[in-house]
Amino acid sequence: MNDQRKAPQAKMPDMRRPGGGGGGPMGARVNREKPKNTLQTLGRLLKYIGKSKLLVIALVCIMAIVTVSDLAGPALQGAAINTIKVAEDGSLSVDLDTMFLCLGAMGVLFLISAGLGLAQGIIAAKLSQNTVYMMRNDLFKKISKLPIKYTDTHKHGDIMSRMTNDVENVSNAVSQSIASLISSILTLIGAFTMMVYYSWVMALIACITIPMTIAISTNLAKFMRKYFVKRQKLVGALNGQVEEMVTSYKTVVAYGKEGKAIEDFGVTSGELKKSSILARVWGSIMGPCMNFLGNFQYVLIAAFGGFFVLNPNPLVPSLMLGDIHSMLQYSKKFTRPVNEIANQYASILTALAGAERIFEIMDSADEIDEGTVEVHVSEIEGNIRFENIDFAYEEGEPVLKGLDLWLKKGQKIAIVGATGSGKTTVVNLLTRFYEVDGGVITIDGRDITTIPKETLRRSIAIVLQDTVLFSDTIRANIKYGRLEASDEEMRAAAALAKADTFIERLPDGYDTMLAESGSNLSQGQRQLLSIARAVLADPKILILDEATSSVDTRTEMHIQQAMVALMENRTSLIIAHRLSTIRDADKIVVIKDGRVAEAGSHEELLALGGEYHKLYSNQFAGIAT
Amino acid sequence: MKTVFRYLKPYALLAIISPLLMIGEVMADLFLPKLMTVIVDYGINAAGDVSESELGSTVMRLLYGEGTYSSMQVIITFGVLMLLVVLVGGFFGVFCAYTAAKASQSLGDDLRRDAYKKVMSLSIEQTDKFTTGSLVTRMTNDVTMIIEFTEMLLRMLVRSPMFFIGGTVMLCTLDVKFGFVLLCALPIMALMLTFVLTRAVPIFSKIQQKLDRVNSVVQENVTGARVVKAYVREDHEFERFKTANGELRDTNMKVQKMMAIMHPVLTVVMNAAIIAVILIGGLDIANVAGSEMSAGTIMAAVTYVTQVIMSIMMVTMLFTSVSRAMASVKRVNEVLDADPVIISGDKVGESEEIAVSFRNVSFRYPSATGRPVLHDINIDIKKGETFAIIGATGSGKTSLVNMILRFYDATEGEVLVNGIPVKEYDLAALRSSISYVMQKSELFSGTIAENIRWGKPDATDEEVRAAARIAQAEDFVNSFSGGFDDYIAEKGASLSGGQKQRMSIARAIVRRPEMIILDDATSALDLATEARLRKALREELSGSTVIMIAQRIASVKEADRIAVIENGTIKDCGSHDELMRTSETYRDIYNSQMKGADEKEVAANE
Repeated sequence: MNDQRKAPQAKMPDMRRPGGGGGGPMGARVNREKPKNTLQTLGRLLKYIGKSKLLVIALVCIMAIVTVSDLAGPALQGAAINTIKVAEDGSLSVDLDTMFLCLGAMGVLFLISAGLGLAQGIIAAKLSQNTVYMMRNDLFKKISKLPIKYTDTHKHGDIMSRMTNDVENVSNAVSQSIASLISSILTLIGAFTMMVYYSWVMALIACITIPMTIAISTNLAKFMRKYFVKRQKLVGALNGQVEEMVTSYKTVVAYGKEGKAIEDFGVTSGELKKSSILARVWGSIMGPCMNFLGNFQYVLIAAFGGFFVLNPNPLVPSLMLGDIHSMLQYSKKFTRPVNEIANQYASILTALAGAERIFEIMDSADEIDEGTVEVHVSEIEGNIRFENIDFAYEEGEPVLKGLDLWLKKGQKIAIVGATGSGKTTVVNLLTRFYEVDGGVITIDGRDITTIPKETLRRSIAIVLQDTVLFSDTIRANIKYGRLEASDEEMRAAAALAKADTFIERLPDGYDTMLAESGSNLSQGQRQLLSIARAVLADPKILILDEATSSVDTRTEMHIQQAMVALMENRTSLIIAHRLSTIRDADKIVVIKDGRVAEAGSHEELLALGGEYHKLYSNQFAGIAT
Repeated sequence: MKTVFRYLKPYALLAIISPLLMIGEVMADLFLPKLMTVIVDYGINAAGDVSESELGSTVMRLLYGEGTYSSMQVIITFGVLMLLVVLVGGFFGVFCAYTAAKASQSLGDDLRRDAYKKVMSLSIEQTDKFTTGSLVTRMTNDVTMIIEFTEMLLRMLVRSPMFFIGGTVMLCTLDVKFGFVLLCALPIMALMLTFVLTRAVPIFSKIQQKLDRVNSVVQENVTGARVVKAYVREDHEFERFKTANGELRDTNMKVQKMMAIMHPVLTVVMNAAIIAVILIGGLDIANVAGSEMSAGTIMAAVTYVTQVIMSIMMVTMLFTSVSRAMASVKRVNEVLDADPVIISGDKVGESEEIAVSFRNVSFRYPSATGRPVLHDINIDIKKGETFAIIGATGSGKTSLVNMILRFYDATEGEVLVNGIPVKEYDLAALRSSISYVMQKSELFSGTIAENIRWGKPDATDEEVRAAARIAQAEDFVNSFSGGFDDYIAEKGASLSGGQKQRMSIARAIVRRPEMIILDDATSALDLATEARLRKALREELSGSTVIMIAQRIASVKEADRIAVIENGTIKDCGSHDELMRTSETYRDIYNSQMKGADEKEVAANE
C-alpha cells in the first residue's frame, strides 16, 4: 500500500481491471499529465470572470475613479499645507480660507471615494462569488455528464477536492487579486502617462526595468508553479485518503489498521507540509525582487535625471528639477502596483494550479450521446435485442464474446451464471453506462445508440445491489423515481415494496432524514427503498441486479407478489442467485464464457442437464439431503 | 484558540524568530525613505552639497573622505546604498517567510495528524455523526485556514504594533493636541470592529456548514453516479447542487459585504483624521501666538496618523481572519475533543472453550429511543464452532456481531470473548483475533495482493495465494493480466459484487484468525461458489470459530448451530434438523426459499 501511496501516478498506467460485472475499467486512464500552458489556463479563467461582463466593467470604471481620487488626494493635501506661508522674518501665516477650501474638497473627495470603495468591495465580492458559483455549477454539471467509467476509476476524494479546495482557491484569487490587479494596472498606466508627459526619454529609461521584471517573474514563476501544482495535488491526495479511510472506517477498525492509515496519512501530510513551505518561500522571493527592481528604477531616474539637468541635450532639452521630483513620485507609484502584483502572485499561482485541475475535469470527454431518433418514452415497447455483442473493460480481456440475447416485450428474463461471468455487464451495456465494442443492442428495432440517452434511461428503471440513497427525506428518496408523483402514489409504491411498515415505525415516518448515503438504515431497508423508487418510476423496462440479495427471504417472499405485479407488462431483466427469484421467469439465460450457453424455462433447462442443471444442483447441494 | 497555541509550542523558536526577522524587513522599509530624501534633497536639489544632512555627510565622508562631492557621486552612492538596503530587507523578508511558513505548516501538519489520529480512534457512531464530507473538510480546508492564519499572525504580530506604538508616540511628541485626533478615531474604529466581528463570526462557521453540504452532494453524486444516470436525474441533482451552492454563495456574500463596508469606513476615518490634523495645525498657526507648528510638523503628523491608522487596519484584517480561523479552530477542536466512546481495556485472553458469550445483552443505538434493537440475548458460542445467525432484514443481526468487535457497546448486559468482558479486553488484541467481513465490501485502492495483505501485512506470497484460493478468488485473480499485482480502482469499482466479497474474505482468511465473522458476506456469490467456499473454510480453518450471518438456508444449513432472530431476540437455536422440527419461524424461512424445490428431488434423482 505504501509504495502505491507514494507514487500513485506511476502505477496508474498499469492498472488493469478484470472483466467482472460491477463495472469500471481503467481503460480511460487518460494521458499522463503534460505540463500545461499557464497562459492558456489564465485565459480560460479570465473568460470565466469575463462572463460577468457588467460587473467587470463596473469594477474597472469604479476603480478608475478611485485611482484618480487616490492620485488627487495627496495633491490637495499638499495644497492645504502650502497655505502655510513663511514670511521674510521667519514667522508663519496661514491662508485659512484656502485651507478650508482644500480640506473641504478633500472631505468631499474622500466621501465619494469611500462610497465608491464600498461599491467596489461589494462588486468585487459579487464578481468572485458569481464566478465561483458558475464554476462550481459547471463543474458539477460536467461531472454528471462524465461517463461512469470516470467515476469508477478516479478517487472520489480527489474529485471532491477539486470541487471545494481548488474552486475555493480560485475564489480567493478572484476576490482579492482581481481588484488589486485592476487598480495596479490602472495606476501603472496613469503613472507611465505622466512620465511620458514630463519627458519621453526619461519614460523610456524608466521602462528599462520592464524586460527585467518580465524575465525575472516568468523564470521565478516557472519554479514556483511546480511547487504550487504539487501542493494542490497533494491536497487532493490527502482528501482522497481521508475520504477512503473514513468511508471504509468499519473495515479499517476491524482490521486494526488505524495505525497504518495514520502512518500513510502522515506521509502525505508531511509531503504536503514540505511542498507548502517551498511554495511559500518561492512565493515570498517575488516581492523583494520586484521591490529591488522598483528601487532600481528610482535610482535610474534620479541618476539620469540629475545628469540631464546638468547636461541639457537635444533629446532632453529642458528638464527641470521639479520635473525630476514629480517623476520620482511617479516612479514610487510605479513600484507599489508592481509590488502589489508580486504579492498577489502566490495566490494567483495557487488559483491557476487549482484552475488547471478544474479544467482537467472539464476537458474530459463527455458521455457519448449522439442519439437523434425522436421517440417518446411512452412509445418504447420494450423489445430488447443484443446481437453478437463483444465487450471488454480492458483491451485483451474480453468479458462478452458474441453475446446474443432477445427479450420480448413484457417478458421476464433471468440471467444466471457464475460470479464474474458478465451478468452485470449486460446491464451496464443496456443502460449505456459503457459502450459495446462490437455488435448492436436494439430496443424495438432501434439501435440504442441512436436513441437519446435521456429517453433510453427514462424507459428503464434499475435496482442495484449497492443501493444508492441521498441525504434527504425518505419521501424525496422514493420520489426520486418520479419527481412529480403524488404522496399517495409514493405511499402506494412504498407499500408495494413492503417498505411502508418499517418507514411508518420511524419517528418521522416519510419525513425521516436519511444520513449521508442512508447510513442510518440497514442494507435491507435501503434495498426496499430503492425498490419502492423503481416501482414509482413505472418504467417500460425493469432491471433488477441482485435487487433483493440483502432482503431476507421471508420479506422477499412478501415482496414477491409485489414484484410479480411490478414486472407485469414490463420487460424485466433479473439478475439473481436465489432460485426463488428467478424460477418464475419466462426465460432463464445462462451466461458462460462471454456468451449465452443455454436459454429456456426452468423446467426445460433442468431437463437439458447442462450448465443450469449444474448451477441448480449446486444451489441445493446439501439442502434437502 | 488555546489548542492552536499549544501546537505552536514545538516551533516556538521559529515563531519568535519570524517576527524578529520581520523587524529587519520593517527597518529596511523605514530606512529607505531617508536615503531617498538624501538623493532628492542633496543629490539633485543641492547639487551634491550634503553638508546640511547628517546622514549624507557622514556616509560621503566615510566613503570618499572630506571634501565636496559631485551631484552624480551622491546620487549613485546613495542609489547603490538604497539597493543594498532593499536586498538586506528582502533577505529578512524571505527568511521571515520561511520561518513563518515552516512554523505554521509544521503546526498544521501536526494538527492534521492529530485530528486524523483522533478520527481513527473514534467509534463508528461518532464518525457517522460527523459524516464523511465534514471530516474531509475539517481535515483539509479548516486546517489550511488555521495554517494561513498562523502564518499571517506571525508576520503581522510585530509589524502592526510597531507601527502603532511608534506612530502614536511620535505623534504625541510633535504636539499633544494631535493625540486627541487618535483619541477620537480609535473608539470609532473599535466600535466598528466589534460590530463586524460579532456579526461575522457566526456567519463564518455557517460558511463551513454550507461547504460541508456542497461536499456531501458532490460525494453522493460521485458515488451514486449510476443511479443518478439511470433515473436521468442529472437535472434534479443539479438543482439540488445549485441550492447548496447558492446558499454557500449567499452566505459568503453576506460576510464579504460586511467586509466591504469596513474598508471605506476605515478610509473615511483615516482621511477625517488627516483633515483634522491639518486643521488643528492650521488653526494653531493662525490663532496662537508663538505657535511651534510648521508645515514640516504638520506633514510629519499626517504621516504618523496615517501609519497608526494603517496599522489598525492591518489589525482589523487580522481580526477578520481570527474570526474565520476561530470557526475552523472550533471545527477541528470538535474532532480533537471528541472522546472516543469505546475505550480499550488492557486484558488479553487465552483462547477459551467458550469463544464468545452474550449475557443478558440488550442493545439500542446510542441516539435512538424506544424499543431496543436487541434484548435478552443469552448465548455461548464454542471455540471452533460454526455458528449461524438468520433473521429478517433489520432484525439486529449485524448489531449483534458488532458488539463482539465493540463497534458498539451493549446497552445492558455483557459480551465476553475468551471469558473476558470485551470492555476490559485490549481493543487491538480483540480485533486482531477476529476477522470481520461485511456484506458491503470495502476495498482500498492498491493492488489485489496489497488488499489481501491488508489482513496481514507480512504475509508471504504463498499465504496470500492460499487465502485467495480458500476464498475462491484465485481463479478470477489469475484471469487478470496482472494477476495479484493487478490494480484495484476506486474502492474496487472495477470488480463485480461477488469478486469484491471474495476479496474481502481472502483478506479475512490471510490472518488465520481465531474467529471469523461473515456478515452476509457471501450474498453476492452464486451458491456453487459459496458451497466451495464453505467447504474450503471448513477444511482449512477448522480451528477457527465461524460466526456467519446469512439469508439463505443453504448457507447456514451445515452450521453446528443456527440462531433464529426475531423481534429483537434469539427465538430458537439449534442445528438445522432440530430447527426444522421445533422452529416454526425457521420452517417458514425454509419454505420461503424452497418454494418449488420439489423438482430438486427430480434433479437429484437423475
